[in-house]
This record gives sequence, C-alpha cells and structure tokens, in this order.
Amino acid sequence: MSADPANISGPRRDRDFALIFLIVGIVALIASLGGLAYGVHSEEPRYFLGWLISTSFWLSLGLGFLFMIMLSYLFDAGWLVVLRRPLEHAVGGFKYMALIFLPLLLLGIAFAENDFVAWSWIDEARITATGDPVGEDPLYLHKAGYLDSAFFALRFIFYFGVWVLFAELLRQCSFRMDREGDPKYVHRARKLSAGGTIVCAIAVTFAAIDWFMSLEFHWFSTMYGVWFFSSSMRGAICAMIILGFLAATYGPLKGIYRGGHTYLLGCLLLAFTVFWAYISFSQYFLIYSANIPEEVFWYNIREIHADGTKNSWWWVSMGLIFGGFLIPFILLLWNRTKFGAAVVGVAIWALLFHLLDLYWNILPGKVWDAATGSYIVRQFDIHWMDVTTFVGIGAICVWAYLVSARRERAIPIRDPRIVESINCHE
Amino acid sequence: MAQPEGTVLRDPEILKEVRPAKMPRRPIVENDRSFHWITEKVCGIVEGKTPIWWWIGFCVCGMVASFVGVGLIYLVAVGTGAWGLNSPVFWGWAIVNFVFWIGIGHAGTLISAILLLLKQKWRTSINRGAEAMTIFAVSCAGIFPLFHVGRVWFAWWLFPIPTSNAVWPNFRSPLEWDVFAVSTYGIVSLLFWYMGMLPDLATIRDRVHGVARKRMEEARTVFQRKFEIFYYGFRRYFYGILAMGWRGSNRHWSNYEMAYLLLAGLSTPLVLSVHTIVSFDFAVANLPGWHTTIFPPYFVAGAIFSGFGMVLTLMLPLRSMYGLHDLITQYHIDCICKITLATGSMVGYAYMIEFFIAWYGANPYEGFAFVNRAFGPYAWAYWIMITCNVISPQLFWFKKIRRNAALVWVVSIFVNIGMWFERFVITVTSLANDFLPASWDYYTPTVVDIFTFFGTFGLFGVLFLLFLRFLPLLAFAEIKAVKAEADPHYQPTQEDSA
Repeated sequence: MSADPANISGPRRDRDFALIFLIVGIVALIASLGGLAYGVHSEEPRYFLGWLISTSFWLSLGLGFLFMIMLSYLFDAGWLVVLRRPLEHAVGGFKYMALIFLPLLLLGIAFAENDFVAWSWIDEARITATGDPVGEDPLYLHKAGYLDSAFFALRFIFYFGVWVLFAELLRQCSFRMDREGDPKYVHRARKLSAGGTIVCAIAVTFAAIDWFMSLEFHWFSTMYGVWFFSSSMRGAICAMIILGFLAATYGPLKGIYRGGHTYLLGCLLLAFTVFWAYISFSQYFLIYSANIPEEVFWYNIREIHADGTKNSWWWVSMGLIFGGFLIPFILLLWNRTKFGAAVVGVAIWALLFHLLDLYWNILPGKVWDAATGSYIVRQFDIHWMDVTTFVGIGAICVWAYLVSARRERAIPIRDPRIVESINCHE
Repeated sequence: MAQPEGTVLRDPEILKEVRPAKMPRRPIVENDRSFHWITEKVCGIVEGKTPIWWWIGFCVCGMVASFVGVGLIYLVAVGTGAWGLNSPVFWGWAIVNFVFWIGIGHAGTLISAILLLLKQKWRTSINRGAEAMTIFAVSCAGIFPLFHVGRVWFAWWLFPIPTSNAVWPNFRSPLEWDVFAVSTYGIVSLLFWYMGMLPDLATIRDRVHGVARKRMEEARTVFQRKFEIFYYGFRRYFYGILAMGWRGSNRHWSNYEMAYLLLAGLSTPLVLSVHTIVSFDFAVANLPGWHTTIFPPYFVAGAIFSGFGMVLTLMLPLRSMYGLHDLITQYHIDCICKITLATGSMVGYAYMIEFFIAWYGANPYEGFAFVNRAFGPYAWAYWIMITCNVISPQLFWFKKIRRNAALVWVVSIFVNIGMWFERFVITVTSLANDFLPASWDYYTPTVVDIFTFFGTFGLFGVLFLLFLRFLPLLAFAEIKAVKAEADPHYQPTQEDSA
C-alpha cells in the first residue's frame, strides 16, 4: 500500500482530530461513569437507562451499517461501493461498543439487589409494579430459565462476539482486496455476508428482547426484533447520508460522492421510513385490537398515567407519528429532497426521531409506588447522563472511525464494481 | 456533498489508483443474441403452430377446471355444509386455499414493481409470466371467500352500496378490508400487466401480415386455407385493438415509461398491504396461534416465497419446452433461488420467534397452541410445513443444486406444498383445539373441498395456457432495453463488429 498521505481516508490533520475525539470521549464517559456510580449510590435507575439509551443509539447505527455492508455484497450493489469504505471504518468500532456496554452488564450482576439496575427481573426480591416480589411473579417464574444472569451474560458475549467477528472479517476482506486485488476476497465477503445476515439477525432479535423488551418482563411481542432491525436500518441510512455529506465536503470523497449516491440513499431512507412505520404500526395495531391486559399495558403506559390522564409519553408518541414518520415520508416523496442539503436535513431530522424512538421504547416503565399503592409511570426527560454518555460514546465511535480511516484507502480501489459506483447516477 | 449539475469537479487523486478487479456481471441475455433473434423467439411462441402438448395440457386442465364448476354448483345447491366445516372449525380449506392462491399472486407484482424500483434488470425475462400468474392466481383466490359467504347471490353486500335494506358491511373487519385490498390489487395488477404488454402487442400486430402470408403458404387443404383467412382476421383485430395504436414514438415511450414507473410505485404498497390485511384476518382475533404481532411481515415474506416457488414451477418447464435458455438464463434461476432461500429463511425465522415468544409470553393457551401444532393431532402437517418451507429451500445454498434445473423444480414443488400446509396449520390447528376442550374436533375436508381446490389448479392451468398461446410470454421490448446494445453509450468491440 502506498504511504502517500494524500490518499488516506481522513483529512490531513485527522491525527489531531482523532486525539481530540478520544479525549472528549474519555472525559464524557468518565462523567457518565460518575453518573452510574451516583445511580448505584442513590438506587436510581434513570442513570442506568441513560447509559442504555445512548449505547443503544450508537450500537443501532453500527448494526445498520453492518447489515448495509452485508446487503451490498449480497445484492452485488455497484452504486454503494464508494460508501462501503466509510461503513467499514465505522463498524470497526464494535469492539469498543462491547466494552462500553459492559458496565451495564457488570453493574447489573454485581448490584442486582440495587434498584439502580433497570432490568428488574435480575433480582427476585425486587418489588414489581403490582406490589409483589419478582420471585413470586408467575410470569417471571415461567421464564426464569431464560432471564437468568449467567445465561444473560453468555448471550451478551454471543451478540457482541458475532457482530465483532463479522465486522472484522468483512473489513479484512475489503482491505486485503485493496492490496491484492484478488476477486476471491469479494467471493469470501459474499459468503460471509450470506451467513452473517442470518446469524446477525438472530443476534439483533434476541439482543432487543434481552436489553429492551425484558425491561418490562411481563410484556412480549414477536415483532420486537424486526422493530429493532428496521429502526437500526433507518438510523444507519440517515447516518450514511450525513457521513457521505461530511466525507464529500471535508473528507476524501470530494468529487466521488455525488448526486446519484444521495438520491439512492434518499430512496432507501424513504423505503425504510415506511418499513419502520409499517412494523411499528402493525405491532401497535394488533396489540390495541386484541386489548389483552398483559400486552396492552405496554402501550397504555406510553399514553396515560395509572389514573387515566395523559402523560408525557403521549406527546412523544404523537411526535413519532407526525415527526418521525409523516414529515420525512412526505418530504422524501419529492425528488428534490433526495439531493444536497435537503436530504441531509431530512436525515438529521429522522435521526433525532430515531433517538426519540429509542427513548420511547426504553425509558417508560411502571414503578411501584408504596405511598399510593399503585404504580407510577417513569416520564420522559432528557437527563444530563444521557447527554454525557451520548457525547462520550459518539466521540469514541468517531475516534475509532478516524483511526481506521487513517490506515486504509478512501475508497475500495480494487473492488470490481468501483467504476460503477464512481459513475453512479440517479 | 452532491454537486450541482455542470459543476467542474477536481478529479480526486485517488481515482488515478482505481484498478477494478475483473469480475464481469453475468449477462442477462446469453450467447449475445440479437434483437431480431429475441423478437423471433418470443413472437414465435404466439405465431407458430399450436404444439401438441399445449392441446393435451389444455384439455386436461379444462377437465380438471370443471371440478370447480361442479363443486361450486353443488355447494350453492346444498349450502356450505358441503365443505368439511364443523364447530369449532368454521374456517377450513376455503380460507387456506384463498391465502394460498393470494400468496402466489404476490410474485408477479413483486418482480414487476419492487424489482423495477430496485433497478434489478434480470426481472425482464420473467416478469410477464409472473404477472400473468398473479392475475390468474388472484382469480382462483377470489372464488373461495366469494362462495364461503354461503348465499353467493348476496355477495355484493360486501360492497358498501346504500340499499333500501340499509345493509352495511362491518368496516371494522379485516375480511371487509380484504374485499377492497384484493379487488384493488387485482385491478392494478391487470393494468400493470396489460400496460407493460403494449409495445410487445404492437410488435405482434405489425407482424400479423407477414405471419399470415407464411402460414398461408404452408396451408395445404382448402379447410386449412379458410382457417388461415379466419385466423388472420382474428389476429389482425385482436392484436390491433389490444395494441391501442402504439407506434413506438418518442412520446409513446416517454409516457409509457412514466406510467410504468407510477404504476410500480402504486403497486408496491398495494402488494404489501394485501397480504398484511390477509394476515390481519387471523391476527386481530384473540385466538392462540393467530394473535401474534409478527404476522404482517411474516405473511408478506411467505407470500413472496410461495410466489417465487410458483414462478420456478412454471418457468423452468417453459424454458425447456420453448428453448428459452438464452433469455431465462442460469443467472435468472440463481437469482430466483436466492430470493426463495432468503424468504424461506425469513419464514423460518418467524416460525422460530413465534414458538419462542409463545413460551416466553407465559400464556398457557398460546404455549399449548404451538406445542399442539408440533406434537398434537396435526403434527404431520406441521412437520411437512417445516420440511418444505424451512429445510428444503436451504438446498439453494449450493451452487450445484441451483444449476440442476430438475432439482430446482422439485424444490419449487416442495415450496408450493409447504406454503399450502402453512396456511392449513395456522387456520385449522388453532381452531380445532380452541379454548373449550369439550368442543374440540378433528377437521377433515370433504370430497367437495378436495375437488374444488384441485379444480382451481385446472382453472389456473387453462388461463395460463391461453396466455401462452395468445400473449407474449416474455417482455421482449424490455429484454432488448437491458441489453448492452440498447445503451446510448454502447461501443461495440472489435469482436462485435466482426
């Protein structure tokens, strides 16, 4: 590989940028770790949930990128090749994500009896929203074998193991292809993608069940894994649009990433906006329609208090319907909004609502209130912990991206479809 | 950042290093067939003499189709008790057959609309046959709910027509939504199919005179000559009217392309909504095994799976019989097999997650419904479903199998069988063993059930054979458009020139 610094992915001063991001990330995460410690001290789960929301946001983008890489190989998509390299840099951050997620698992197991841990099933003595201990809850007892700390930790290792493994193998195939130009790497990447799609889909499904669905362990939905997949894909496409814009404006894709790419990404964003809405609506509609207590309470707490009055989640729900779906959907129907600053604007907007969707899925919860003898619903708020963790993890992800980008070519120069991608037009 | 048009771009340095490895895309038309060859090949199917096998197939299918007529007449005469419905299985084969045929009807629009939007050029060789299959499958599907209403002469009550009796359908029922979804889907699919055929119909129209001359020369007897005169007149007006004055002008093509794209955009949500609503037929009921949130995307994936299975079942023999190997190439078969594998795996994922959540949800009725499916009185059906839908498509992982047309065809038959059984398992197992054990009963179809369903294959066969005989099987105008020569920037190599 040529050592010419002009041909590396990052800007010339990216070494400084990487260092800055690393420092910011570490400082912000240290603040968040302080938050976790305070959460343990005060037995307040909001700190735990803040970490979970921010980690899930960045993790979901990584998962979406990983699926996009695999799908691009499976479909033999020519147009995406120039953008595949930034995605390959981004998924290099999975190993750090595993480390960042680890405190939740360790603290969850070490301080199981502490109310700070939002996975209430982890402590059988914990009082549930019905006023009874978890260990006496018949629904918990039925699934206690699955919701077991050791098994939970094993599954955590499996999920991240799978994601890191496939991300690294696919990265290696692509980087080696640059150096050796042997099509066997493309064939290998395709085979990896075929198997990886299935294994990663299973990992994503059960990760969503473990980390989000089990927050209310009474609740269940067969659609939940598909929801997390659709949400991650949508978020990842938004991030790709923003990433492409930055790489083409300040980075190495200047003159390479063009209107054709933004147009096609805009089309994909439209498709996945509809897909996410379809999945979310179908789940809502079927549960609403059946009106079975052990299912419908999950939506009820996202709308009303125990006394039937509207709570803050109702407004968030309306925001998701109108802001998360309707506005980007209508905007993306127009050809014009799939280009230039317009598509970047829509992507930023949709990405914010992706974060809000994660809040909506993770944060609300029934909490037993001994004073009233009923439950109260944890309300929507943006905690300082959310901000520091979000910034910290984001900065670490950017650092990991820049470090990877420094070592490799800006685009896969030997990929068989690279010319198609460079000449991509709408 | 996207550059405005006309902006002069600084050539990035890295582009000088670009040296793509050689891995050419597989051709959509093999052996570099010319435009003329493609026209002759596809038009030849419609213009040539009717093959003997066609007549045999037509007669057999016609006889089998008569079962539908007889079965339905008998049903109307004696009532829906003629079907094996009992309490608590009030939905039996009729709904199973309806969902089975509707599912098959998904591949056509998927290939035509969704693959068009995804710019998958390989779709051009199989879209026409698949679209025809869609329309005939939807026609077969419609028969079952139509007659399931019992008094079929009141079926028009399904439409919200204000009457003096003030009879209104129940708008809250997904069965009512089916009426609108399926009929809209049928109409749009028909439009899409017909509109896509216009350039090809015009080509056949323009060739009518030449073909008639040739056929006349070959006619030996007076009867044959008279028949050819009649046949010439028929073809002249038949294709003349159907071609709607298509002249292939720039304006025609421009309008055609825009209309085709708009119809594709319209059809895509339609095709997804149809099977979503079909899934709601079950999922809105509070019945274990039916009420599960993954049903909408799972049904859509299943429909695409079964549709592609039927595409393989139909197109592989036709490819052989008409010698279409250069147009429906191994690449096409590979693509269809891979989609079948992907959708089959999605269906497998849905089976797995349904089973898991039935246990995780800790609802004893839900848990029982799934254990009962796998190990109860209908376990045989369940395991047929798993074998055909989840295990058999996994064979498509192997290139050797994908390259063996006979094996691919056999697997496609398994897919068809498996998807019928999937609907059987969903419908019957949940109903037969409901909340009240005292009412449990083993569901058995009657002869009328079996023969009516069997008859729909005959009806489907008759319609498809007529399509083969009178309409262009492959969209040859579209096939030509995706050939390298159709690209305005195409530069023939020295070999081509020679």
